[in-house]
Amino acid sequence: MTAGAVLLEAKDLAQHFGGLKAIDQVNLTLREGEIVSVIGPNGAGKTTFFNVMTGVYPGTRGSIEFQGRKINGLACHEITALGIARTFQNIRLFHNMTALENVMVGRHCRSYQRILGPLLRLPAFRQEEADIETAAKELLGFVGMLSSGNILAKNLSYGNQRRLEIARALATEPKLLILDEPTAGMNPTESQDLVALVRRIQARGVTVLLIEHQMRVVMDISDRVVVFDYGVKIAEGTPKEVVADARVIEAYLGKGA
Amino acid sequence: MLSFVKKWGLLAAALLLPLLVKGTDLSYLVRVGGIVGLSMILGLGLNFTLGYVGLFDLGFIAFYAVGAYTAAIGAAYGLSPLIIFPLAIAMSMLVRLALGVTILRLRGDYLAVVTMGFGEIARLVINNLDAITNGPKGMQVAQLKVLGLAFRNNDYFYYLIVASVLLCVLASKRMEDSRIGRAWVAIREDEVAAKLAGIPVAQLKLLAFTLSAAFAGLAGAIFAYWEGFVTPESFVFWESILIVSIVVLGGMGSVSGVLLGALILSGSPQLMQAFLSSAWINYRYLFFGLILVLVTLFRPQGLLPSKRREAELETLQ
Repeated sequence: MTAGAVLLEAKDLAQHFGGLKAIDQVNLTLREGEIVSVIGPNGAGKTTFFNVMTGVYPGTRGSIEFQGRKINGLACHEITALGIARTFQNIRLFHNMTALENVMVGRHCRSYQRILGPLLRLPAFRQEEADIETAAKELLGFVGMLSSGNILAKNLSYGNQRRLEIARALATEPKLLILDEPTAGMNPTESQDLVALVRRIQARGVTVLLIEHQMRVVMDISDRVVVFDYGVKIAEGTPKEVVADARVIEAYLGKGA
Repeated sequence: MLSFVKKWGLLAAALLLPLLVKGTDLSYLVRVGGIVGLSMILGLGLNFTLGYVGLFDLGFIAFYAVGAYTAAIGAAYGLSPLIIFPLAIAMSMLVRLALGVTILRLRGDYLAVVTMGFGEIARLVINNLDAITNGPKGMQVAQLKVLGLAFRNNDYFYYLIVASVLLCVLASKRMEDSRIGRAWVAIREDEVAAKLAGIPVAQLKLLAFTLSAAFAGLAGAIFAYWEGFVTPESFVFWESILIVSIVVLGGMGSVSGVLLGALILSGSPQLMQAFLSSAWINYRYLFFGLILVLVTLFRPQGLLPSKRREAELETLQ
């Protein structure tokens, strides 16, 4: 995959919690159309990094530019509207809404009707609702869940809940999709299906950044791999380069082998 | 959800009630119906914040009071009811908006405590602001006359209330079934996920919070005209609890649930008063408590929990 223009650039990014440097001095550039994996031992700061990028944490120092625009300091929903969507390590769906409604919620930032439209059932409102529903159905179909559209999210199987989260994120029309451990708890077959799904997402023109623990998935899918340890980036490169890197081996296996 | 036949049957029954009981010794049912109707409007209002968004609010009655006192003061100045009703609604929403801007960053129990405090403060202010509200002595409200039509007895108010309930049901249903309604429920289900799915959470909470007061303001204005008299004692903490109970009993976020909740919790004391000896009436709050405990234990989702809309899924395949 040849990389396109710079999509996101994090410079000297840090997030400290009191004395704890959850991430520190992180520099990262993402290019359009890439699939980049972030790996690292537990507690390395991967999820914190994602949280800073999506506005959950404000960041202590440094900057993030998305398509040339500084995004740190913006509210979560503003960042989502600019085109960064994400899923969560521990699935966070709207449990008592149907699968279809979960995806429709994702369309919120791409639709505009407020009070009078719904109250008076104005034509513009009806049209927008129909468009929201059509788009949501298309995405449910894309992740292979159209027939489960009327099932409450809490009643879906684990694998489908993961897919639904991805569909909801895609509904916001992201340019960058951030997946936090998408294959966690999946068996090898399910993981393979997910890899295929991520490839199809890439084919839609979406850049994908993911945290992943299954090395088979990482090696298979990534254009580039970034390695975190103790809150700092210790290595970056193609999957092959990274697994041969002495610092990475040390981080995972310890020294003196 | 009530089926089509049931729905229209209930509406017909509600509309015929005054005619059926006219001249019989059941004619007090019209007044009971009106009281239940006002509770329904209040319940539907609170349903926006407590039901859809899940914000606990223990001072909702304050906005009923704002509506009632706006109407009473407006009437004292000789304003036309055609101005007073919108004014009562607007004042209620305005006060609610001002409160919401300051307290909506609080969550859960903290929000409940602060709204409870506001409810009490509002009552105390009304009680002590003699120059405007005439304090604990209360205010007379002139008879409601709209375009030459004088509201002479309970029947007039009953129909006004039924019409208002229908309007509020329609507004609730329509907001519920829109991107705003979906966003509200999403916030209730998982606030963090909602934010990251692109929902401006603070803004939408404030919207629900403010809209809910429109219902309270409307109910308050009707109440003021109907009673012909307002006093701070009508807006005590217990009334706020009653509305919360209505929403919880019926089913949070469920319009038909709220209607049923109001019918049970607001109707039963009135009927008990009519049928049971006075010794029993003293136990009615105990009876309420028992109902709520039982519902919480055995049917936490409420008597008529909200159902999600089913979509037609075949069209795309």
